[in-house]
Amino acid sequence: MTTTISRDSRQDQSRASAGSPAAAPRRSSRTEPFTIVSLIGVGAFALFCLIPLWMILAGSLTDENKLSVDGYSLWPSPFSLKAYSAIVAGGALWKAMGASLFITIIGTTISLVATAGIAWAIARRVPRLSTSLAVVGYVPMLFHGGLVPLYILVTQYLHLQDSWFSVILPLAVAPFLVFIGVSFLAQLPKEILESARVDGAGELRTFFQIVLPLSKPILAVIGLFYAVAYWNEWFMALLFITDPEKFPMQLVLQNLIASVSNAAGMIPASSDVAPVYQLRLALTVVTMLPILFAYPFAQRYFVKGLTLGATKG
Amino acid sequence: MTAPAQSPVLQTPEHAPAPAGRTPRRLRMTAQRWRLRDRAGVLLLALPALTLLFVFAYMPMLGLVVAFKAFNITDGVAGSPWVGFDNFTFFFTSGDAGRVLLNTVGLNTLFLAATLLSGLLLAIMLNEIRSKYLRKPLQSAIFFPYFVSPIVVSVILQTLLSGVGGSGGAVNKMLGFFSLPDVSWYTEPGPWPWILTVVKIWQLGGYTSVIFLAAITAIPEEVYEAGALDGASRARMALHITAPLLRPTAAILLVLGVGRIFFGDFGTIYAIVGDNGTLFPTTDVIDTYVFRALRSQGDFGMTAAIGLFQSVVGFLLISVATLISRRYSRESSLI
Repeated sequence: MTTTISRDSRQDQSRASAGSPAAAPRRSSRTEPFTIVSLIGVGAFALFCLIPLWMILAGSLTDENKLSVDGYSLWPSPFSLKAYSAIVAGGALWKAMGASLFITIIGTTISLVATAGIAWAIARRVPRLSTSLAVVGYVPMLFHGGLVPLYILVTQYLHLQDSWFSVILPLAVAPFLVFIGVSFLAQLPKEILESARVDGAGELRTFFQIVLPLSKPILAVIGLFYAVAYWNEWFMALLFITDPEKFPMQLVLQNLIASVSNAAGMIPASSDVAPVYQLRLALTVVTMLPILFAYPFAQRYFVKGLTLGATKG
Repeated sequence: MTAPAQSPVLQTPEHAPAPAGRTPRRLRMTAQRWRLRDRAGVLLLALPALTLLFVFAYMPMLGLVVAFKAFNITDGVAGSPWVGFDNFTFFFTSGDAGRVLLNTVGLNTLFLAATLLSGLLLAIMLNEIRSKYLRKPLQSAIFFPYFVSPIVVSVILQTLLSGVGGSGGAVNKMLGFFSLPDVSWYTEPGPWPWILTVVKIWQLGGYTSVIFLAAITAIPEEVYEAGALDGASRARMALHITAPLLRPTAAILLVLGVGRIFFGDFGTIYAIVGDNGTLFPTTDVIDTYVFRALRSQGDFGMTAAIGLFQSVVGFLLISVATLISRRYSRESSLI
């Protein structure tokens, strides 16, 4: 056995401990070429993922004069905070931020209530009722009416144009997340439910006082999926929101890419040279900020949800 | 508050029944009798979602009758006159149909192959990296693009290809470094299927690898130990153990992807291409076409007809796909 580096010793402990005593030292006692190839491969892909994001950040901090020539920037020099101060000073961004927050927070709340409720109703295995509900929840995964009937419904019958609820309600129940919820809830120990029942708790009380507290982890997963979807949503807003005052962040950003004059309008008239290109990048950064902050905490839950979806469905 | 029909045990909720009472209770549990009140309670919990699904998923299905009508706003869905299959004929003879359908299927095939392959490779390679200090940050980095919105992707792409202000751009700079001529990317439809494929790999490579990694952790350790005893290198084990054992997962993802092959990724494609007509020959898919037709021409009938056609073919494909994927893995009952 040759030199054992820290990686191998950890692996010996965790992965091979259950195996035969001979197995541990024999396998992977030294760094194999494939491990190095893997490290380089994944490392390169990680750079491929991160460099574009870095360029946006660096560009948003780079002076407008350099941006207008090169169109991008790898390092924020000459350094400039002009775009950010313009964003803070101009009122348009705060409105858009408010719209996005409204859609995300109210939307996630509505979605969680609806999704948890129907997921439990399916997982509860009430004869006939639960199966019918599962079918009702499953069919929209297979077949949907598409864009046009939805558009007619929302604009002609519900009259939700220019209301943020036109973005929220069509997306409020995601069948995929309902079934992730079902697969978790179906595993809750039956004994607890039964004892609640014996103690005289009705179905509603069981749900609110026993099931919900026990399913906090899955609620976090589902809530995060919804929150990210709402924050990033722009198609529904593009369809139904025409009043620029009510645009959420993503739509403001899209408008800004579409034309420079839109960008100039966002900056208070006092500024001498409008940093329009810089502003585009700065607004992109601002749009990503909430996700960036939530990511370290959210990632774990996402992996959990995906794994649940992949193995249990 | 408790119905008398329930059981005598209910009258003493505080005290657990004697051990003797345990067995009948278990029996009741398996054959729980559902009173109307309990059913109503469960139904009440499902009601918000049922309402939402009914209005926003089922009503539009009924609304698809618009495909057979000459819809106008004053008469509404019910009042507009029937026109039979005119809307379908109009689309399929318009000359756009072939291009749009081909693009949808072609691009989705490219996207599916690329994301599956990149996810598989990344998962196998990530599995080799045992150091927690390397693996965690690497995984975080490759998973992050999944959370980036299509609009942001579009900004990034502009920065890379044409510069944020329409001049320069990082890719052209690189081409210049190798003394190659600049390319005016946003007026050249040719390379766009490949550009969009790279975007898809960026967005979904890490995401797909998470699914594959979940499958890798399910592989029993003994298999690798047996391989190691036989003197197999890590590379051999990846090739001859991990990869073959991931085949069912890959098959399911493939089949599900094929089931969705008729639905274009509107969000990403429209955010990037928008109304840039020069790129339509290679990037216009059903969903973007429908959106534009609806917005610019206000042609509800034809767009609904395309939507119905897409939904029906998509439904057939998804149903077949689901049936096939169930044969591959009985555990994953849904999706």
